[in-house]
Amino acid sequence: MPKEIVLKTVDIWKKFGEVEALKGINLDVYRGELLVLLGPSGSGKSTLLRIIAGLEYPTSGKIYIDGDEITNLPPYKRDTSMIFQNLALFPHMTVYDNVAYGLKIRGISKDVIDRRVDEILELVKIKHLKDRRVTKLSGGQQQRVAIARSLILNPKILLLDEPLGALDLKLRKELHIELRRIHREAGNTWIFVTHDQEEALTLSDRIGVMNNGLLIQIGDKWDVYEQPNTKFVAEFIGETNLFKCRVKNIYSNKILAEWKGLEIKVKSDRRLYPEEDIYISIRPEYIGISSEKPLESELNIFHGTILDEVFKGSYVIYSIRLDNNEVVKVTVLSKDADYDPGDNVYLYWRIDKGVPIKE
Amino acid sequence: MNNGLDSRRLKNIVSSLPTILYISILFYIPIIILLAISFTPPRKFIVEWVFTIENYISIFTNPIYYRILLNTIWIVLAATFMLIVIGFPIAYYLARVNRGLGAKILYFLIIPVEVNYLIRVYAWKVILGENGFLNLLLISIGLVEKPLTIFFYSWIAVVIVLIHEWLPYVIVPFYVNLVGIKDELYDAAMDLGASRLQIFRTVTLPLVKPAILTIVFLVTIPSLGEFAIPYLVGGQSGLMLGVLIDRYLSGFQLAIGAALSFFLLVITLALSLVMIKIFGYEALYSR
Ligand SMILES: Nc1ncnc2c1ncn2[C@@H]1O[C@H](COP(=O)(O)OP(=O)(O)OP(=O)(O)O)[C@@H](O)[C@H]1O
Ligand SMILES: [Mg+2]
Repeated sequence: MPKEIVLKTVDIWKKFGEVEALKGINLDVYRGELLVLLGPSGSGKSTLLRIIAGLEYPTSGKIYIDGDEITNLPPYKRDTSMIFQNLALFPHMTVYDNVAYGLKIRGISKDVIDRRVDEILELVKIKHLKDRRVTKLSGGQQQRVAIARSLILNPKILLLDEPLGALDLKLRKELHIELRRIHREAGNTWIFVTHDQEEALTLSDRIGVMNNGLLIQIGDKWDVYEQPNTKFVAEFIGETNLFKCRVKNIYSNKILAEWKGLEIKVKSDRRLYPEEDIYISIRPEYIGISSEKPLESELNIFHGTILDEVFKGSYVIYSIRLDNNEVVKVTVLSKDADYDPGDNVYLYWRIDKGVPIKE
Repeated sequence: MNNGLDSRRLKNIVSSLPTILYISILFYIPIIILLAISFTPPRKFIVEWVFTIENYISIFTNPIYYRILLNTIWIVLAATFMLIVIGFPIAYYLARVNRGLGAKILYFLIIPVEVNYLIRVYAWKVILGENGFLNLLLISIGLVEKPLTIFFYSWIAVVIVLIHEWLPYVIVPFYVNLVGIKDELYDAAMDLGASRLQIFRTVTLPLVKPAILTIVFLVTIPSLGEFAIPYLVGGQSGLMLGVLIDRYLSGFQLAIGAALSFFLLVITLALSLVMIKIFGYEALYSR
């Protein structure tokens, strides 16, 4: 199925006085996807969502929905709806009145509203709470009301600004699964903002990583995870080992880099130059351990001693000191983790698993 | 164990004693005395301890009381209405439109409250009185020939002075209430498609109910018993029950004065109950 662009932003800048909250955001969002925008606090995520929703206007740049420019349209003329960081439910209303709000405002007849409210409450599974005051609901239930209140308008694009921020971890995990189900059943496009990388990986189809008002990398979540394009992305998403290296030799699609006296081979189609300083990122789970030296050629193999182990339940994190005195983190499934601190081991990883990153 | 429970109960009683004493001595006992006196015959200087409902009969049959009661309610309602009409936009401006100014200017709104209100009433006289500023102005531009007396010694003057007296007590509750409404509620309403007017009707108004209730208790109800302002600036058309009560009590016609006081108290209570019925108890202390 060809991907169809539903929302497009072109070079969006936003300045609040001296503060540059967004510095040229070019974003394409595909119809029906669940895109997660991930970034640390203050990176401009909320500002971008508010600009898409029409609650804020960009200093410069353009926004299109289905090819029509909407940059300067007020919120009520846009086919978007937003779920806020603190939900912003109307505290003086019941669940029903909150959910029906958008339809009532549009002067829809009561029968139609009743039917739609029932449908949507069914979808988010809180039909039994219809007449409850929203202030008398649990955090998770309020969450569902907020989603229902937006979804009832059937917006082309649903914008979610860290809606799970206030909930505890267990509830968040439950709601992640629920959100994916609701997204599937509702069938519209979602842009979900969070600063929690785990949440981003769980929920998303695609991830966009933001920092300092810039969209640093966007793509399929596997690609972003496996091929981070910057040190920031490599460190922000998941755990990684970053080795500061210098490029020595360049072959057709492979380079040889020097890392504090050791040599690392890595596959690369990026343009690199001899003597250039780069980082090589390798995820701890791509590194294998064995007590005997493996005999393959497409591997990086180093000798080291186990320094420390941290048991995490299903897996174990080993810290291993290599012969050049650098420490590398390796995760191993608990069932295979039969090493103890002090053991001599060999580390190895496939040369296509390391990712060279420019400074 | 039983013993322990008893001693705890004793402690509870002892510790709540001051409160009970305080409220009864300063509040309920005077009211009971008032009630008792109101059922004695209307005599000057003395209280004759004979039970009669004569005073209440005259309150309910003599049209003059009836008229003054209506006058009182009319003046207080007119003042409350005007106070809300004037106070709300000011509070709204300070709380939502120009917040930086709001925090600073609120202080200046409260300062006049500290000025003795007799002084303020006399200040109004300088403006509204027969030889006051307003009349001078009207005469000098040739709009009238003789000074008008309708501004002063009239119900309008009472309403004006009441507004001046109570405006800060209206602005502050509205301000506090409005500042407490989260911006995101407005954003959400806008996002869901509401126009400014619709947002005002569906979000702002319902959420300022607590302030309105506060204002009724803080301003409207105390104003019903107001006597100094109508006494000083009210004239005939600005006569209020409070003035009448004061007149009887200071003329040592205690019985009829007490009956009128009690009558006013019942009206006040009734009004409070109606307001609570409309807004709900929660509005008093929660949003
Ligand atoms: N109304 C505003 N006035 C001035 N500065 C603002 C305003 N809104 C946002 N900013 C600034 O813009 C930058 C981006 O803010 P934004 O709220 O978009 O960040 P965020 O990524 O949503 O962060 P968080 O994860 O903390 O919600 C911040 O430096 C913030 O201080
Ligand atoms: Mg934010």
